[in-house]
Amino acid sequence: MAAVTGTTLVEGATPPARRARRGIRQFPVWRWVILILVGSYFVIPLVAALRFTGFSSFPQVIHQEGFSDAFQLSVKLAVITTVLTILLMLPTTVYVHLRLPRLRRLMEGVTILPIVIPPVVLIVGVLEIAPGFLKSTPYLLGLIYVVLAMPFAYRAFDAGLRALDLNTLVEAAQSLGAGWRSTLWRVMLPNLRTAMLSATVLTVALVLGEFTMASLDLYQTFPVWIVAFDQTSGPISVAASLLALFVTWIFLLGITLIGGRGSRRKGGAEVSLFSVSRQNTNPGGS
Amino acid sequence: MTTNAGQATGHQADRTARSTSGATVDLRNLSRSFGTTRALDGLTLRLAPGELVALLGPSGCGKTTALRIVAGFETADSGTVEVDGQDVSPVPAAKRDMGMVFQSYSLFPNMSALDNVSFGLRMRRLGSAERQRRATDLLDMVGLAPQAKQYPHQLSGGQQQRVALARALAIEPRVLLLDEPLSALDAKVRLQLREQIRSLQQRLGTTTLFVTHDQEEALSMADRVGVMRDGRLEQIATPDELYDRPATPFVAEFVGIMNRIPAGLLELLGASGLAADLTPHRERPGNAVDVLVRPEGLRITASPTGNGIVVGRTFLGQLTRVSVRLSGDVVVQVDLQSTEAAGIAPGDPVDVSLAGAPVMVAER
Repeated sequence: MAAVTGTTLVEGATPPARRARRGIRQFPVWRWVILILVGSYFVIPLVAALRFTGFSSFPQVIHQEGFSDAFQLSVKLAVITTVLTILLMLPTTVYVHLRLPRLRRLMEGVTILPIVIPPVVLIVGVLEIAPGFLKSTPYLLGLIYVVLAMPFAYRAFDAGLRALDLNTLVEAAQSLGAGWRSTLWRVMLPNLRTAMLSATVLTVALVLGEFTMASLDLYQTFPVWIVAFDQTSGPISVAASLLALFVTWIFLLGITLIGGRGSRRKGGAEVSLFSVSRQNTNPGGS
Repeated sequence: MTTNAGQATGHQADRTARSTSGATVDLRNLSRSFGTTRALDGLTLRLAPGELVALLGPSGCGKTTALRIVAGFETADSGTVEVDGQDVSPVPAAKRDMGMVFQSYSLFPNMSALDNVSFGLRMRRLGSAERQRRATDLLDMVGLAPQAKQYPHQLSGGQQQRVALARALAIEPRVLLLDEPLSALDAKVRLQLREQIRSLQQRLGTTTLFVTHDQEEALSMADRVGVMRDGRLEQIATPDELYDRPATPFVAEFVGIMNRIPAGLLELLGASGLAADLTPHRERPGNAVDVLVRPEGLRITASPTGNGIVVGRTFLGQLTRVSVRLSGDVVVQVDLQSTEAAGIAPGDPVDVSLAGAPVMVAER
């Protein structure tokens, strides 16, 4: 596109107004209908819950007995699970991509197991084999959550690695004299930041909402506390649920915004929970 | 490349060039198999200091495997790689001191152009100021100083490869390895960049191994070109020698355009003497002898009673390549000055004859 009186437009760029008009044209009516229907499915229960509990219940939630402990435990478990998941899954996925690409399909199969196997079976199995000193602490839940987060974390890392030409980047770094540690720290990790964010978002969301495992393991995480408190006070329990939902959303939005900003500035992939778009490049040209 | 970039190249290269000339590289009897496929089969090659050698060949001929073994990314099943007489086969890639430019864009997306170029210097623990100075010099050499702060996604493909070249040269490598660095670029940029690579390589005197499947690139850039086939080096020679005196029919036909004319047609082309010389060959079973002739080795004249019919013509600028069908459905290509070819059209009868000696005689 040529320069236009006083404003130079980058080749291939589209003016915002035209882009907006094209955006509306490309989003036909039937899509709006589906969006509204599906949106209603999510929004109506929330509005109903909000009407049931009333705004006055929200301030009372944090003063309820057990709230603070349960919330702290859930946050602590979210941090532990996220750290362990990244430490375990990131090197594994990188190694499979670099050295054992033929095992990718097997990895996909293995990592999907926690979704396929019923939670009750998982927890009974874990309690059977877990060492005694771990059974007596809530941190056993962290290990269980690592397994539960595996399908999501693996897919996030896998998508991130597919978006990079990892082999070439690693070889380029090595040809310039970088050892494995430098390559990992200066080349791989910064370029997998988006994937790590996706994995973090998904893992945190999973841990903050998980009920079955915690309940069967007899620990009062935040979701377990909400269900238990429901027996005492319905409106406050519902207010706690909504609060948990909003806090989780704000948390996830924060992670996505903070991570996405730096990544976009450097031409990184778009942040998405379930996929990572390929890095932007301008092919050809001088 | 712009003129400014070219001038910058000259000044900066002199300033940045290492004082020593390039290294001697010896590839001795390299072999490498992948499963049942033999990618390299006893490759032996010597690169003189400061020399640019291109490995040319069709896909799967083993040229990239050879380059990757030199770089240290692959291990040879047998044979050695020596740099200045020292066997580097057991040395890991990170310690070989070889700069490499890859086929795909290999800049680190999280780093600016300047940071990319200074990455190798950082790995060598150079101070920040020195890194900055040398990286800026190198970017200046490739004409990209103004883009120093830009990230790879903000650069075009050609600019990215120039940054990649600057990055590879920044570490003052003993050997520069180029793995089809131009193949992802459009034709015009490819031409500019190839001139710039050659110019820099000559100024810096870096011994360079260049892998390509593009014969025009190889012939125009390299001091010597090695033609590979099935993991073996068929011939290594200067571009002129390779073109004029190919060692094997494969090289003759792979490099440049070559007509394969059955010996039985030689009399038709007015080469009775040559036909007689080839008689002993032709008496073999199947009469399976061809002569290989370049398009410029044939001439045509318009003639109603000629031995061929024009079936096509391709305008190449100063020259026009005319395709003529001879008897036996043999089609030959003949290069004519475009002014001479102006009066020749498809369907015209013409007389084709040999303008000189054929390049070689080959069994069919």
